[in-house]
Amino acid sequence: MMPKARVKAAAWAALAVAVLAAPALGSPVLNDWNVRICSLMMVALSWNLTLNAGLISLGHSAFWGLGSYAALLAANRLGAPLPLSLLIAALAGSLAGMGLAALTGNLRGIFFAISTLAFSEILRVVGLMTPDLTGGAEGLYLTPGLRPAPAVVTFAVALGAVAAVVVCAGLALTRFNLACRAMRNNEDVSKMFGINPLVCRVQCLAVAGGMASLAGGLNLWHGGFLDPLVAFDLHVTVLSQIAPLLGGIHTLVGPVVGSVLTVFLSEGTRIGLGASGYSQLVLGVLLVVCVLAMPSGVVGLWRRVLARRARP
Amino acid sequence: MGLYVQLLVDGLFLGGLYTLAAIGISLSYGVIRIINFAHGEFVMLGSYAAFWLATLYKLDPLTSLPLVVLGGGVAGYLLFRWVIRHVLEAPHLNQILLTFGISLVLQNLAVVLWTGDLRSATSVVSYAAAELGPVLLTFSRLIAFVVAVLLVVALLGWLKWSELGRATRAVAQNQQAALLMGIPIRFIYALSFGISAALGAAAGGLLSFLIPLSPWMGFPLVVKAFAIVALGGLGSVMGAIAGAMLLGLSETAVSYVLPGGSGWAEGVSFVFLLGILLLRPRGIYGQALEEQHR
Repeated sequence: MMPKARVKAAAWAALAVAVLAAPALGSPVLNDWNVRICSLMMVALSWNLTLNAGLISLGHSAFWGLGSYAALLAANRLGAPLPLSLLIAALAGSLAGMGLAALTGNLRGIFFAISTLAFSEILRVVGLMTPDLTGGAEGLYLTPGLRPAPAVVTFAVALGAVAAVVVCAGLALTRFNLACRAMRNNEDVSKMFGINPLVCRVQCLAVAGGMASLAGGLNLWHGGFLDPLVAFDLHVTVLSQIAPLLGGIHTLVGPVVGSVLTVFLSEGTRIGLGASGYSQLVLGVLLVVCVLAMPSGVVGLWRRVLARRARP
Repeated sequence: MGLYVQLLVDGLFLGGLYTLAAIGISLSYGVIRIINFAHGEFVMLGSYAAFWLATLYKLDPLTSLPLVVLGGGVAGYLLFRWVIRHVLEAPHLNQILLTFGISLVLQNLAVVLWTGDLRSATSVVSYAAAELGPVLLTFSRLIAFVVAVLLVVALLGWLKWSELGRATRAVAQNQQAALLMGIPIRFIYALSFGISAALGAAAGGLLSFLIPLSPWMGFPLVVKAFAIVALGGLGSVMGAIAGAMLLGLSETAVSYVLPGGSGWAEGVSFVFLLGILLLRPRGIYGQALEEQHR
C-alpha cells in the first residue's frame, strides 16, 4: 500500500490535470463552471492566506476589482496580450496589498477588517467618479479583437488556480507560515520570537493581494466587460469568505473543496429557482449555519468522522 | 451666505438621521462588544414595514412609527436570543461572519419577498415646505430630524436615569463587576440588542418617506454608521452624535461644493473611516476601548 502522503500528492496531481485538461473538451458550459470554480478558488485561497496571519479581510473585492481594471487598461491602452496583462494585474494587487498592510500598521481584528471594507468601498466610489479612466457607471469593454478563444482563457484560469494551490502548499512548508501562525495566535508574543509583524503582514498581503488580483484579471478576460459596481462588488468579498469557511479555514484543502461546493450551491439555486435573490439567500444561510454549526467546515467534519472510525 | 445657512441646516438634518441610524451600533458594541453588520438590515426592514403599513392599511409613516419601533425591538431581542448569543465567546472572525451572514439573509429575503424594485412611502408632511429668509425648510426632513432627536434624547435619558439603563451602563463598563452586583447580563445583552434594533428600525421608518427604498439600502448605511461610531469612539453614545453631525455636514458640504459632488459625497464616510482608524483608532472622544476589548 502506498504511503498516505503519496496518495494525497497523487490526488492533487490528478485534480490539477483534470482541471487543466477540461478546456480541451471545448464545452462552453463546462468552461463556465471551470472558470467560476477556479477563480473563486484563487480568491478563497488568498483570503485564507490573510486569515492564516490573523488578518480578517472584508476587502477582497478591492483586489479583485483592481486586478480587473489593471488587466483591462493594460490590454486596451497598451495592447498587452493576456499573459502580460495578467502579470500587470497581479503586480497591481501585490502593490495594493503591501500598501494596505503598511497603511493599516498594527490595526487588529475588527479594526483591520473595517479598514479593508472602507478601502474597497473607496475604490468603488473613485471608480464611479473617474469616467475618463474607468468608463464610470457606463463601464468599459475589452477591445474585442484582443480576446483569445474561450478555451484559452479557461485554461489560463485553471492554470491560475493550480498555481495558487502550489503557492499556498509551498508557503505552508516555510518559516513564513510559522511566523504567520504565531502572529495569528498572539501578535505580542510573536514579537518575542523575533517576528516583525509589520514585515510579515506586508509579505502576506503582497502574496494574497496578487493572487486575488490575478483572479480578477482572469475574470475580466472571461467576461470582457467591467464597471465599478461589478468590479468592486461586495459579492466577491462574501464569496471569498464563504468558500474557505464552508470547506474549512486554516487548511489547504478547505478553500478548494469549499469553492467547488459554494459554486455548485449558489449556481445550482440560481439555475434551479431562477429568481434573483435565492442564490444569495442560500449563501447567507450557509454562512450563518457554518458559523453556528460547523466552524471548522467540511474538512473539520470529515476529520472528526475519521477520528471516530480510528478509535477502537 | 444663504447657501452656507442652507448647507448648515441640511447637514444638521442629515446628521440627525445618521445619529439615529448609528447609535444602535454604538450601543450594541458598547454593551455586547459585537460589531453588528446586520444593523443596516434593521433600518431596511423598518423602512419596508412603514411602507407596507402605509400601502396596505393607509397608515401614515409617522403614525406607524411606534409599531415599527416595537417590531424592530422584538425582532432584535429574538435574534439575539436565538442566534447572536451563540457567538459571544467565539473568535472575532465568527462574530463578523455571523452578522455578515445574517445581513445577507435578511437582504435577500427582502429581494425574494418584495423584489428589488425601488419604492417609497408618502407622509402628510411629504410635500410641505417653508421658506425662512434664504433657507428652504423641507418639512419632512425637519420632522424626521425632530423625531430622531427625541428618540436619541429618550435613549440617553433611559440610560442615565432608569434602573435598567443604569444596569446597562454597568455592563458596558465592566461585565464581571456587573455580574457580581447581581445584574442579569444575558438579559441586558438581549435588551440592548433589541433597543439597538428598534432604533435602527425607527431610522428606517423615517427614511421611508425621505428616500427611495430597496433591499440594498441598509449596507451602505451600516458602513456610514461604522464611520460615525469610529469618529466618535466605538461605544460612546455622545461620540456617535458628534460623529454623525460631522459626517452629515461634511457630506452635505461635499455635495454642494464639489462638481459632481453627490457622487463623491458617498465616499466621504469611507475616507473618514479609513482615516480615523489609521490616525486615531479610539475616535474623537478617545475612550480606551481597544484595551478594554481584550
